[in-house]
Amino acid sequence: MTIGSQVKQSLANMKAIHATLQQLALTSTNEEAQRAFHEAMLETEQMIAALKGRISTLEREEPQYKGM
Amino acid sequence: MPAWLEVAIRSICILIGLFIITKLLGKKQLSKLSFFEYIVGITIGDIAGTMSMDLDIRLTEGVTSILIWALFPVAISHISLRSKKFRDFVEGNSTVFIKNGKILEDNLKKEKYTADELLEQLRKKDVFRVADVEFATLEANGDLSILLKRDKQPLTIGDIKPYVPEEKEPQTVIMDGKILDEPLATARLNRGWLKQQLDQMGVAIENVFLAQVDSYGQLTVDLYDDRIQLPEPQQKQLLLASMKKAEADFELFSLQTNDAEAKQMYEQQAKHMQQLIQKLQPFLM
Repeated sequence: MTIGSQVKQSLANMKAIHATLQQLALTSTNEEAQRAFHEAMLETEQMIAALKGRISTLEREEPQYKGM
Repeated sequence: MPAWLEVAIRSICILIGLFIITKLLGKKQLSKLSFFEYIVGITIGDIAGTMSMDLDIRLTEGVTSILIWALFPVAISHISLRSKKFRDFVEGNSTVFIKNGKILEDNLKKEKYTADELLEQLRKKDVFRVADVEFATLEANGDLSILLKRDKQPLTIGDIKPYVPEEKEPQTVIMDGKILDEPLATARLNRGWLKQQLDQMGVAIENVFLAQVDSYGQLTVDLYDDRIQLPEPQQKQLLLASMKKAEADFELFSLQTNDAEAKQMYEQQAKHMQQLIQKLQPFLM
């Protein structure tokens, strides 16, 4: 498995975390929990953006692995 | 009119009357908060019993008696609500038995309590050593309330963890296979969500005896068929696990890459994720 596909896997994991946090933020009835989940969700968005940036760099450097 | 018919009619009328009276007296009567209320309860029952059986007593006389016995406590509780002094007079004060860890013998004598009875009351509250008690007071209704010394008090979550998030009461959303809309709305969820959750579990609504939603929106169900095993909701634990995996991923990538800029980015994100895990851990445990 190349580094590129590992990073992509990690990106998928991050997206799952993002979705779960979003769901918990919506279904929690406790306001404190709602806020914590929502803030965490926003922070994961930054991480996802960072990972995406890294993936595009990797794809530019090694175009043979593009899309894998 | 035959005697049995009169007894029957009386009994039914009194039963209905008593039902209304008990509703009027309210829940407080049930707790028998004071000796007076306790006696009133018994007396009303006794009058009603005699009235329904004893045909020599005329109904008007019985009803008058019952009304007085029932309305007097209602009046007293209304006045009690307004005046603290009156309340103290009617319901009585509590008497301190143990203060600063020392038994107050004078107060024991005043309430005609022997040392044996005090020990018995303490034992009922699982206290076998008088030395463990910081403060104890005999309530107006005869119960003994105890404050243990700080080092003998039971451990609570707040003692171990610096911060514990509040948890709201769970809502019961399905009962006897029928959806309860009002609790569902209180949990800010709807029927569509509930159906989707049940579909995910693979159960039909008709098979659900009871279903509750906790304050994180997790659904737990009890089925009529107890042989079917359903998994516990694991969403929160899974989330925590995958967040830890993400942190490990970032650290791994930062070790593997030779690019200085990417290395820094990964390290930063790993630290970021670590903080996030710490922040969310109290909610996810």
